[in-house]
Amino acid sequence: MTYNDLTPTPDADSKPFWEGCRNHELLFQKCAECGEIRWPPGILCPRCHSQEVEMVQSGGKGTIYSYVIYHQPFHPEFADKVPYVVAIVELEEGPMLITNIVECPHESLACDMPVQVHWDDVSEECTLPKFRPA
Amino acid sequence: MLDAGICNYVVITYGHSALWGGGMAQMLFQMTRNEAAFGHFGAVGGYALAARRAMHEFGTGPGTWQRIASGQRKWAALNPISVMGKKPLAEEDYFKAPMAADPFRLVDICLVSDGGRAIIVTSAERARDLRQPAVLISGMGQQNPSREIGQARYMAGPTGAKKAGKEALQMADVSLKDVDACQIYDCFSYTVEITLQDYGFFGPGEGGDWLKGGTIEPGGSMPVNTSGGQLSEAYFMGLTPIAEAVMQLRGQCGDRQLGPQTQTKPPEVILASDNGGILQSHACFVLKKG
Amino acid sequence: MSLKDKYAIVGVGYTPQGKVPDRTSLSFHLEATANAIKDAGLKKEDIDGLIAYRHFPPCPGEPDVTPQHIAQHLGIEPSYLSQDAN
Repeated sequence: MTYNDLTPTPDADSKPFWEGCRNHELLFQKCAECGEIRWPPGILCPRCHSQEVEMVQSGGKGTIYSYVIYHQPFHPEFADKVPYVVAIVELEEGPMLITNIVECPHESLACDMPVQVHWDDVSEECTLPKFRPA
Repeated sequence: MLDAGICNYVVITYGHSALWGGGMAQMLFQMTRNEAAFGHFGAVGGYALAARRAMHEFGTGPGTWQRIASGQRKWAALNPISVMGKKPLAEEDYFKAPMAADPFRLVDICLVSDGGRAIIVTSAERARDLRQPAVLISGMGQQNPSREIGQARYMAGPTGAKKAGKEALQMADVSLKDVDACQIYDCFSYTVEITLQDYGFFGPGEGGDWLKGGTIEPGGSMPVNTSGGQLSEAYFMGLTPIAEAVMQLRGQCGDRQLGPQTQTKPPEVILASDNGGILQSHACFVLKKG
Repeated sequence: MSLKDKYAIVGVGYTPQGKVPDRTSLSFHLEATANAIKDAGLKKEDIDGLIAYRHFPPCPGEPDVTPQHIAQHLGIEPSYLSQDAN
């Protein structure tokens, strides 16, 4: 298994999000009825069950909801990357993403710390939204 | 199915060549497809995220989890079939254990086990005529918050354990004071803390004090995971805790039997729990001596 | 009507555990189930419901374990079969 096998495999629901990432845009579905911005993407608004959506772009700012520092590589592709940080980032617009925190000493990490998006073009086809201290 | 009269005897079974056969690794990779690109795999990272948030919200941490991991290891030492029973886990051993996914050390994580376990459920009437002392399902409750951990706001509690536990106790018409021991689904040390906390044994962040002095250990006032649990006996999902609750209520647990020989209360009522996903599902059972 | 004290757990089945080489997942289901039936003092024909615990992905090289496989190998035809979502 190579790193490319680990990169996201967009499906019909998530394709607009990952295409947006390639253009360095964080695009989310917003319910046209009740205004709920939702993540993960889906056909139905979990709040009001409307299927009417518009796309909105996030400003890429948020805070760390929680984080974990991986010391063991759970996959050979990450053997030379430990220790690294996986976090849940809560965007100002509401969505909560699993992501990496980069360019941040581990001892300065904290829950609720402000962060902003940092685009990582890992291949021609794939760009990952990572985050760094704001 | 039993209540609808469709079945008389239902068997519930689990089996996995998780360790030797590599099955657990398969599961972990399938669990996190789009998150694998960030190096996020399976349950360890997910529960570690929950535990970190709990540290932030109510000040728990490794000091609390050590008491859980070491306490359960003492029970495992009394269980001849436990995987870790021969290896003591003193406080200093816990803190020396390597970090896996900070804040979790390897010793905060359950075992990966080959093996299986099964139980059989039938009506209380039929149970009377069978070979073994019956263990009654006195109460049960389930709650499924369902959201993936990446979008969960319940990771530091209240988790599904809060509602499930309340419902189970209500059905059984007992309170926590009537509970003699607990068999808690313990995929991670933190899972034990948040479950006991949500059941109401202590308030948020008071777990460290509650656990102090061996509360859950042999000789303690509220024995927890008396087989060693999934941290120290073996991992068979919810059937590790449920099987142990049944065997304890039957009085067939040998050296680890609750009662005078382990300086604990002879058990009449035991709480048992099960989790699914990463705190996404919770089931609580009140089991009672028949 | 409340389910309080209406049902009971009457059998528990164990298997070798820990690191147990050269065994399939299915084999553990079968051994655990057969031991639970014995423990309860039942006959296999008494079992008319079978719930397999959450289905984990099969181990490399192993076929998927389904409740139907387990029933076939136990030599039973239960009225009810399912796989738990947890």
